Amino acid sequence: MGTSAPARQSLLSTGERRALYEEMVLSRVFETEAERQYKAARIGGYCHLSSGQEATTAGVVRAMTPGDLLVTGYRCHGFALARGVSPDAVMAELFGRSEGCAHGRGGSMHLLDVQRGFYGGWGIVAGQLPIATGLALALVRQGRSDAVVCELGDGAVNMGAWHESLNLAALWRLPVVFLVVNNGYGMGTAVERASAEPELHKRASAYDMPGERVDGDDVDAVIETTSRLLAAAREERQPAVLEALTYRYRGHSVADAGLAYRSKDEIAERQSRDPLVRIRAQLLDAGLGDDDLDAIDREADERVAAAVAFAEASAEPPVDRLAFGMHALGSGEQFARMRPGSPFGEHELTFDAGLGA
Amino acid sequence: MPRLSDSMEEGTIVRWLVDDGAEVAHGAELAEIETDKATMTFEADAGGRLQRVAGEGDTLPVGDPIAYLLAEGEAAPDAAAAPADAADAPEAAPASAAPPTSTRVKASPLARRVARDLGVDLAGVGGSGPHGRVVRADVEAAAAAASDAAPAAGPSDGAARTDGARGAVEIVEPTGVQRTIARRMSESKATIPDFQVRTEADVTALLALRRELKQAGRGASVNDFVVKACGLALREHPRANGAFVDDRFQLHGRVNVGVAVAGEGTLIVPTIFDADAKPVTQIAAEARELAGKVRDGTIAPPELSGGTFTVSNLGMFGVTSFTAIVNPGQAAILAVGAAVERPAFGDDGQVAVRSLMDLSLSCDHRILYGADAAAFVGRVRELLEAPYALIA
Amino acid sequence: MTATAIASETMTYREALRLALREELGRDERVFLMGEEVGVFDGAYKVSAGLLDEFGPDRIRDTPISEEGFVGAGVGAAMLGERPVVEIMTINFLLVAMDQVINHAAKIGAMFGGEVRCPLVIRTPNGAGNQLTAQHSQSFDGWFAGTPGLKVVAPATPADAKGLLKAAIRDDDPVLVIENLRVYTTKGEVPLDDEHVTPIGRANVAREGADLTIVSHGYATVRALAVADRLAEEDGVSIEVVDLRSLRPLDLETVARSVTKTSRVLCVEEGWPSYGVTAELCARIQRACFDDLDAPVERVGMAEVPLPYAKNLEHAALPNEDRVAAAVRATLDLAPAAA
Repeated sequence: MGTSAPARQSLLSTGERRALYEEMVLSRVFETEAERQYKAARIGGYCHLSSGQEATTAGVVRAMTPGDLLVTGYRCHGFALARGVSPDAVMAELFGRSEGCAHGRGGSMHLLDVQRGFYGGWGIVAGQLPIATGLALALVRQGRSDAVVCELGDGAVNMGAWHESLNLAALWRLPVVFLVVNNGYGMGTAVERASAEPELHKRASAYDMPGERVDGDDVDAVIETTSRLLAAAREERQPAVLEALTYRYRGHSVADAGLAYRSKDEIAERQSRDPLVRIRAQLLDAGLGDDDLDAIDREADERVAAAVAFAEASAEPPVDRLAFGMHALGSGEQFARMRPGSPFGEHELTFDAGLGA
Repeated sequence: MPRLSDSMEEGTIVRWLVDDGAEVAHGAELAEIETDKATMTFEADAGGRLQRVAGEGDTLPVGDPIAYLLAEGEAAPDAAAAPADAADAPEAAPASAAPPTSTRVKASPLARRVARDLGVDLAGVGGSGPHGRVVRADVEAAAAAASDAAPAAGPSDGAARTDGARGAVEIVEPTGVQRTIARRMSESKATIPDFQVRTEADVTALLALRRELKQAGRGASVNDFVVKACGLALREHPRANGAFVDDRFQLHGRVNVGVAVAGEGTLIVPTIFDADAKPVTQIAAEARELAGKVRDGTIAPPELSGGTFTVSNLGMFGVTSFTAIVNPGQAAILAVGAAVERPAFGDDGQVAVRSLMDLSLSCDHRILYGADAAAFVGRVRELLEAPYALIA
Repeated sequence: MTATAIASETMTYREALRLALREELGRDERVFLMGEEVGVFDGAYKVSAGLLDEFGPDRIRDTPISEEGFVGAGVGAAMLGERPVVEIMTINFLLVAMDQVINHAAKIGAMFGGEVRCPLVIRTPNGAGNQLTAQHSQSFDGWFAGTPGLKVVAPATPADAKGLLKAAIRDDDPVLVIENLRVYTTKGEVPLDDEHVTPIGRANVAREGADLTIVSHGYATVRALAVADRLAEEDGVSIEVVDLRSLRPLDLETVARSVTKTSRVLCVEEGWPSYGVTAELCARIQRACFDDLDAPVERVGMAEVPLPYAKNLEHAALPNEDRVAAAVRATLDLAPAAA
């Protein structure tokens, strides 16, 4: 199998690994709480959890520089947290509140933080790929030496946008790494049932670009591979495909029990080699004590509880700002003749685009 | 306010004939009421003590109470109850012989607004748009016609006066009949695409026949012959005896010829029913009777309704030729001038003095086209020129 | 008082578009043109002819046949502050990129709470009339104009082609510029002033009249003006033509002012009227002008069939001048013209 050899000589110091553990635990606790809040009907819409995928999420983001850009699909809570978006802003967004990172307009699938180079969770399968390609094109045009990480699921590789984006990226030599998070299932369809070539990284060869597969639950391997591909992207404008093999413990979304297409045994088997257990073992080997690590776990619990409290306290977005942000500043003048205030006005919405929600 | 004609929408109490508070018997004459067509005497349809609501000169819509007839010890309903009665009244009123008509006026939103601004009652405006829709032009024409018609009416008591560039202007409220004439004539001009065909009838023989009949004690006017001739011709030309209503040709089974009669400051058109079937002498007798009723104001609505064609004759005033305005609801109107003696070529090619009479037919082109109109008026002329057929 | 001479030049619609592109490419380094055959081939309809030599392959970027890919690339580049102008060969091909236009570009401002903008321009011609048949003769203007988050403009004249394209490029939101195959060759006076920018959201009274208003955009405006001249001659009617120029935002105020004056209105579009631009106009006009209408709001568009190939069938299906004239007469309650 084409998995990269695990990096025996770890690139991480114990302190860095401990920080990664903090991120991964926070992500796990956050997702568990999100599911609880969803079932308590305080979070609505779709809610896609990434429990089990923490090593991939944290590892990939760890390999990014502050100037790199991140684009993801809709399973994006973990990526937002890993990129440094405050759990308060993420939970508030899930609650649909003003102080959410998209001011309550996006919800679970559409987190973002432009200041941190996170250009959004996107909801249409593979829709973010052409956009990531364009972000990379803009980086080139602007003479920046940064790169784009474009996350997608295993289900997205059969979309036309996948082929078009890979072709454009290779044709134009754009600095973008397409990260295929292969968790085994596109919704309920196993990869083998959807893709004629289930070794998804091989598809890169059709576009004359590197394609690699990594054990997505091995955080060292993820960091090493991602760093290498991102470096080539930044330095040589070499796009690439990185396939990370991982597993999601929960269903496709909170509304899916996740048992119609896989067995409890299968889930239990995967959980027995949980990435969190693996990194915890590594930290214990490196001399940290259970007390120390339990304290990290407790801190994560407290941090997420605080995020829930923050979200609860955050105001709902005011209804009179329904069209907030839809159009740029100055658009009000353009729409003036079809809205109230015009003598013939329809009861249209207003289009103030100020930054405060 | 009783509904006393098929087209009556409001009426005016001209005069109460019974004192307020008097006991009246069933059938007693209560009041004179002016409708859109005539002034009528209204009789009590029950006995009781009369308690008036409306005063003389008051104009009320049909269905509004004008008085109560109270039984012993009964009190009049209080004012609050009155509107409910009024609202119920139109439904309760007997449908009489009036044809069912749609009460909804089709008018464009703009026409409605302009009508509001100009104070025009849309119900009286004919629509020139598709499906009879009243459009702005119709309302403006009606308003213009109304403002032209108003000063033409005679002076009346209590008229307001204003001074302006045209000197003292007297504002005179038209009577109900005058209002109706104004409305229907505007409607006609605004909605009926009319045209005229004109011919001359040689009535030399007719005049001779009329003298013969008169000597025999069977007097008939020239107009009575015209009515008879029209009656026969209409039977042969159903379109001329029809109307264009709601985008359809309405062809009438009976031939009823209205005869325009000038009254005091007004114009009344009593109807000669079944003019095709009645002898000229009967037509003459009926016409005389109806004209008398018009003059003394006793004509009743049934005698003013149901016309399918109209004859207007100004010959008695020395007018030799004129055109008339089609009465809405009919296809045509015949304007008849005075018989005038003129030299004319006879059948033998010789010039002789003949009596010629101008016939001008105004037609609604939506139902009666040029050739049909010519054929119809030609037939009238033919009948008038061979008048013995008319008394056969 | 001295007259201010405003330099202008007679040129075709396509030349006016090219002038706008050249001026904006020269004015702002962030502007670049991207699309199929825009460079070496000089543009499928020659709008970009010569620009590759002038600005180079980075600014005049040929793409593969890959609309979803490069429209999305335009979206991404715009999100990072570039000013991409994406040319789609015809609006029919924009359908394969609908996901990027509707689900992505149009959503960015609102869905991300105003945190990021998408100043993207998509230029594409619509229209029919050259026997291009069902798949290449369509006008989807109403589909896009009905999408909140997009702006849609449709110039009808060379001057507006320049002015509106420049306005679109300078706008901070995604703007679809709908051109028309048959309008490319029409000529008109175009201001040479490089600040000639036609404001988005402002209609133009292209012809003044008293009896009836025709509301139209794009090539339908060209038809409307021809019909207005013809009926002035034949029937002596005075027609006002309101050229919308912008479909979203819609300048209802100018439309309503005209309808209030004339009381009768005919809406004309190149596309199918059902659920289209004219459907929208009818709804808004009846509401804004209810008390000013002397006749029902009428409309004419493409016959509701996939456009056939045969010349006579195609002509019959389009909102040709005879059909527009007939609708004008009907709305004015005039008798149809003798055949």
